[in-house]
Amino acid sequence: MRRVVFALVTLGLLLGLAAPAQAATSQSYAPVEIVHQERLTVGPYELTVGFSEWPVRARQSLDFTFVPASGIEQLSGTLVAVSPTGEEDELRRPAGVHGLPRHPRQPDVWGLDVFALDEPGDWTFTFGLDGPQGPATADVIVPVLDQPGPPLGLSWLVSTGPLIVILGMLAAAVRRGGRAIAAA
Amino acid sequence: MIDTGFLARPWVPAWILLLGSASTFVGLAWDLQWHSDVGPDTFYTLPHLFIYAGAAVSGLVSLAVVLAATGAVRSGRAVDTAVGGRRVAVFGVFQAPAGYLVSGVGAALFLLYGLWDEWWHGLYGFDAVIASPPHVGLLTSAMLAMLGSVMTCAAAAGQPWSGPALVASVAILLGFSMVVLVALPEVGVVDERTVTVAVLSMAALACLASFTRGLRAVLATAGTLLAVQIVLAFFSPWATRLYAASEGLPLRDYTNGLPRMSMLMPATLLLGVAALALAAAATSRRTYAVAGALGGAALAATFPWQAVLLGSVAPMPAEVAATVVAGALLGAGGGLLGERLGGALRLLVASPAREAV
Repeated sequence: MRRVVFALVTLGLLLGLAAPAQAATSQSYAPVEIVHQERLTVGPYELTVGFSEWPVRARQSLDFTFVPASGIEQLSGTLVAVSPTGEEDELRRPAGVHGLPRHPRQPDVWGLDVFALDEPGDWTFTFGLDGPQGPATADVIVPVLDQPGPPLGLSWLVSTGPLIVILGMLAAAVRRGGRAIAAA
Repeated sequence: MIDTGFLARPWVPAWILLLGSASTFVGLAWDLQWHSDVGPDTFYTLPHLFIYAGAAVSGLVSLAVVLAATGAVRSGRAVDTAVGGRRVAVFGVFQAPAGYLVSGVGAALFLLYGLWDEWWHGLYGFDAVIASPPHVGLLTSAMLAMLGSVMTCAAAAGQPWSGPALVASVAILLGFSMVVLVALPEVGVVDERTVTVAVLSMAALACLASFTRGLRAVLATAGTLLAVQIVLAFFSPWATRLYAASEGLPLRDYTNGLPRMSMLMPATLLLGVAALALAAAATSRRTYAVAGALGGAALAATFPWQAVLLGSVAPMPAEVAATVVAGALLGAGGGLLGERLGGALRLLVASPAREAV
């Protein structure tokens, strides 16, 4: 019984800790802020590609918006993004799906939220639009600069500290455990 | 004189530590789902709160035990090794029970890497990449705290509460560690994540078998992991939808609602247990290698198909074969390592239960 009471008290404490943060999270997320636009002619259609950061840097997460001049109601759109090394990025969609998703915080346009392009270099975005005037495709090149911050190797070195501690501990445990088993 | 205060009830700090680990684990599962299905992020989300509260609870209870043990020793009282295992002198000042020292260091590192992560997000934005350097630092720090929890549960072997606590702590550590493997570089020949899951799983299960000298805890751990996987499969998408609705946020287009954390855990771990049981007929040292090999191969042969069932592309036959062979070899190594790790855990409790003053 005492243990049950203890468990309930502990759970209560934890939830108590959680309550202020629940209040803190009752917020509206910032609207999408576009700082750079590229206009693209896709056959008979006009498409504006918006970026929340410019220039784009590798691994930096940003919001993209894809806005057809006539709105998204009349059209269907696809996007294939190819990295500088020639690999197709699935853009967070299930494999094989190329349709353009709506931006979650601006659902009247297509877009990607908190999305990062993980390699520097020229990315090729191929848009396909289909609507009353038939299908058409066009490419836009998105130049991506090197990632910000320290070199990736140095960042990984700093970040592997706990892993090195774990591996060191396990190595010591394996050595001493072996001796303990041999002695048993 | 034996300590009669806080340290006389080893189950109190041990269960608090375990609760901290569980909070971090559940928070992570929820956070993964949130990033996948909804997206927008700030530091102050509920899933983050569970993760950070778990680390804070682990850190505070570890600190409390180390200070209490130090005070007890200084005033001439004995500290039961059931409280976190044998003591380690730190900086010539503190007397830290080994388990709480490890969990405390893990929680402290978690705080440091939390600051590193905060700086990183200031530079890169709130990206949803699991495999960023600070995220791996954070996740491995949490694993260190969870390893300390395993040690504290093992150190109390023989007490009625320690068996279930040990099973729960190993299941949490093993389940949690599977998300870190997302950061592994692709090697192309084998499914690198599958073979790493195989070696870790076999090492953890063999460690339990070696420590408890039986298979009951092994079976209980695999069963617990399966239960956790099922519960999280329902909880994570449900809690994410509920939380998004409370924030007035829609789910992303193309969200399929598949449980992200559960998909990283192999339900087929039970086959590993079956392999251990099969090999348990033998009693020589070879048992662990054979059991690890059988379990590793079984896991490697089945885990990728769990992903295929959920929409991933089927692996090529050559990759399947290479993965099974690598799973067997690494599983055998994991079994042997696990046996020795079990021996090391026994060292935590090998000294007389109560030290003479």
